[in-house]
Amino acid sequence: MEAFSFGSYYPSDSAIHRLDPRTKLLLGFVFLITTLTVGGFRGLAPVAFFVVLIYAVSRVPARRVLSSMAPLLAIVVVVAVLNLFTDQSGRILWQLGFLQISEGSLHSAAFMACRLTLMMAGMSAITLTTPTLDLTAGFERLLAPFARVGLPAHELGMIMGIALRFMPQFATEMKQTADAQASRGARVTGGPLGGVRMLGSVAIPLFTGVFRHAETLSAAMDARCYHGEQGRTRLHALVFRRWDALAAVVTALLLACVIVVNLQLV
Amino acid sequence: MIECRGVSFSYDGAVSALDGIDLNIEDGEFFCILGGNGSGKSTFAKHLNALLQPDAGTVRINGMDASDPELVYDIRSTAGMVFQNPDDQLVATLVEDDVAFGPENLGVPSAQIAQRVREALKGVGLVGFERHETHALSGGQKQRVALAGVLAMEPRVLILDEASSMLDPRGRKGLMKACRVLHARGMTIVMITHFMEEAAEADRVAVFQAGRVAMLGTPEEILTRADELARLNLDMPPSCCLGRALRAKGVPICAQVREADMVAEIAQAYAERSGAGTAGQSSASQLEIADGTVPVDNEGNASEPVIELSHVSYSYSLSPRERRRWHKRSVTAGKSSKQALWGNDPSSPWALRDVSLTVRRGEFLGLAGHTGSGKSTLVQHLNGLIRPQEGFVRALGLDLANKKDAAAVKAKVGVVFQYPERQLFAETVTQDVAFGPHNLGLPQDEVDRRVESSLSRVGLDLSTVGDKSPFELSGGQQRRVAFAGVLAMEPEVLVLDEPMAGLDPAARRDFLELIDRLHRDGLTVVMVSHSMDDLANCCDRIVVMNEGTVFAEGTPAQVFAHADELKSIGLGVPAAQRMALALAEAGVPLRCGGLYTVESLADELVDLLIGRSDGPSNVADIAKSKTVAREEGC
Repeated sequence: MEAFSFGSYYPSDSAIHRLDPRTKLLLGFVFLITTLTVGGFRGLAPVAFFVVLIYAVSRVPARRVLSSMAPLLAIVVVVAVLNLFTDQSGRILWQLGFLQISEGSLHSAAFMACRLTLMMAGMSAITLTTPTLDLTAGFERLLAPFARVGLPAHELGMIMGIALRFMPQFATEMKQTADAQASRGARVTGGPLGGVRMLGSVAIPLFTGVFRHAETLSAAMDARCYHGEQGRTRLHALVFRRWDALAAVVTALLLACVIVVNLQLV
Repeated sequence: MIECRGVSFSYDGAVSALDGIDLNIEDGEFFCILGGNGSGKSTFAKHLNALLQPDAGTVRINGMDASDPELVYDIRSTAGMVFQNPDDQLVATLVEDDVAFGPENLGVPSAQIAQRVREALKGVGLVGFERHETHALSGGQKQRVALAGVLAMEPRVLILDEASSMLDPRGRKGLMKACRVLHARGMTIVMITHFMEEAAEADRVAVFQAGRVAMLGTPEEILTRADELARLNLDMPPSCCLGRALRAKGVPICAQVREADMVAEIAQAYAERSGAGTAGQSSASQLEIADGTVPVDNEGNASEPVIELSHVSYSYSLSPRERRRWHKRSVTAGKSSKQALWGNDPSSPWALRDVSLTVRRGEFLGLAGHTGSGKSTLVQHLNGLIRPQEGFVRALGLDLANKKDAAAVKAKVGVVFQYPERQLFAETVTQDVAFGPHNLGLPQDEVDRRVESSLSRVGLDLSTVGDKSPFELSGGQQRRVAFAGVLAMEPEVLVLDEPMAGLDPAARRDFLELIDRLHRDGLTVVMVSHSMDDLANCCDRIVVMNEGTVFAEGTPAQVFAHADELKSIGLGVPAAQRMALALAEAGVPLRCGGLYTVESLADELVDLLIGRSDGPSNVADIAKSKTVAREEGC
């Protein structure tokens, strides 16, 4: 009955799961930069190896990984198609009016698609192996230095955590409302007017639901003595362990590999 | 522990939600607050942990003044609160993180938090769920996580604000059990509820009305006063109803608020009356319970079928190829694989499995089953929202596998989903009700006619509510508007998913009457409910679902005769049937079939308790009448 699994946590107890969330966020950032600097297919090989290694260690089932990435693949397709028609070079393979596909654009589209997919796979690894509260705590701690210049780090973290927690809930509620309105004859395919009406009939109950939830949730948080970050402790205090150092070393290795390939030293 | 003096409160300054409440709750007491919707119960509860501050009067918790801003967090950690809706009070994705949220806010050191989380989860029977995701739990489990989250703050008072009202019977039982254990360990419990059976377990009961304490006393004092309770929009527990019904028929018996006491009282009255040893009879009646298999409906006086499901299976997770593989495997392995003893097997990928079912024209069909038994999936099959993956569904002579026919059937099979008022969206009541007819493409005058007639069918007047926003109406009225929205489609079959969920006893009665009236006016009604009492009172036929299959099917008498089997799948039987079985066990020679309403049980008992006056010699007589009755009954 699970309508929604994007980015949601897969509970397990692997080494990746046990990493400090700050490590994962920071290394994730390094990973993104590294992947962006890759210049060609050869450079993607170490990145792909790295991603496969992470998933192998994390023991998240392949099906779960794919289902969590599926919605993001739409972006990959769009980017690839855009690349297909721009960035022309080499022999022209196909032409229609101003549209043309050349060897160079085909190559760059494929490259972009692979790179984006790898980036998304890498980032999904973080959300799949980190419970939202840890993620937000890590996020918050990393932003903490900026709190001095007035950035509400804790609040941002909390907002993010609650948003992620309620995501599956809203997805379920939207499905229920859409079912109910469909039972009253609402159709998306009823012309533009029908479409707008259908949209309103689902969106309005969804929004009133959000407000209803917000009201009780805030009361429930109050009742459990929530009063901002002051004097707050954590069940799992964030501590860097040996694993974190190891992860940093592996990521550094990846970075080194990519640099070596980019500089065409091999 | 809790002292309230003249507490008054108003949300808007005009209407007072609380109006001079004086109440003392002792340390270690199990205190229950009853009252209709809008009587001020929840507002009062929010005063007990300083979520609201009184406009006048004082609230003291364990000696601390609740309006002192310095003490707010001391008070909130002393008096913990569990809210009504299991879905919107959990903060975290993982169970252990959620339970830790309170102590984290209190600044408890990490090692101690871990200890408290372990203890709290043990206290609510959820050991081993630490790393589970909260949104994937059942309602009852979520509510127990919320309870654990409160316990981890080590409170001395536990406030439950209708915490059980959105749960199925099994979830409610689990929550109640956890509360009883805590109470036995010395926890003060303040429980706000609509369920009279829960109130019967309390040490003291207060009934709220219009922001005042209308009645206060032990359950025995309060719950037996039928007329006053009815005036306060409440009910008596079924055992009291039975006691009163018997008294009204001239049996000298005291109404008891707990079922066990009532049963004991009647059994004793019977023993005194007959003067005979009662040991021999109990085994006889138990035999009667156990005989027979799951009943099959007899096709004798059946009217034409309006909806037929045959061999419908549905899975949310399996692809067609995997489904075929499953079938092959189940054929080779034989059908009777393991059946989970308690609830459905979470690893089973089937939401529905080989379900065959017929809804006949004009009947009132009850659909029972606990959460996750496949009821909701079944309901969505009835009007073509889901097209069957296997098997076929025919409704009103049309095959729902056909896309066009399925669209036509949607208008003729109206479905009222759970909490239908949440689907209201339009600016005015009229527009909301007109949504369905407009979608059907009807001319404006026909739409207007349908809006008016459907509103009047649910007991609302177009001229008074028509131009109001549906969001200004009270909860009960909103639900009526949502009903009207479905009735405006002029369906032939009305499918209701838990239509009475979350209502207070008076509103519950009103809705049952409303549904019954719609049925008598010629609608075919399918009602999904986990309240066996409601089903017993109004259904012609009941289908019990379990693990995606039809577990039992038949008249209420047939289905409820199998109390043990129903219990084994986590469902109860109506209170009257439960008492009848307990009485039979205690040696009162009752026939067990067909006694699923309080009236029928009372009638039967009257015969036994005063009907025959010639003492022990009547045992054979009774036995004879019992067999006769059984033949008639089943």
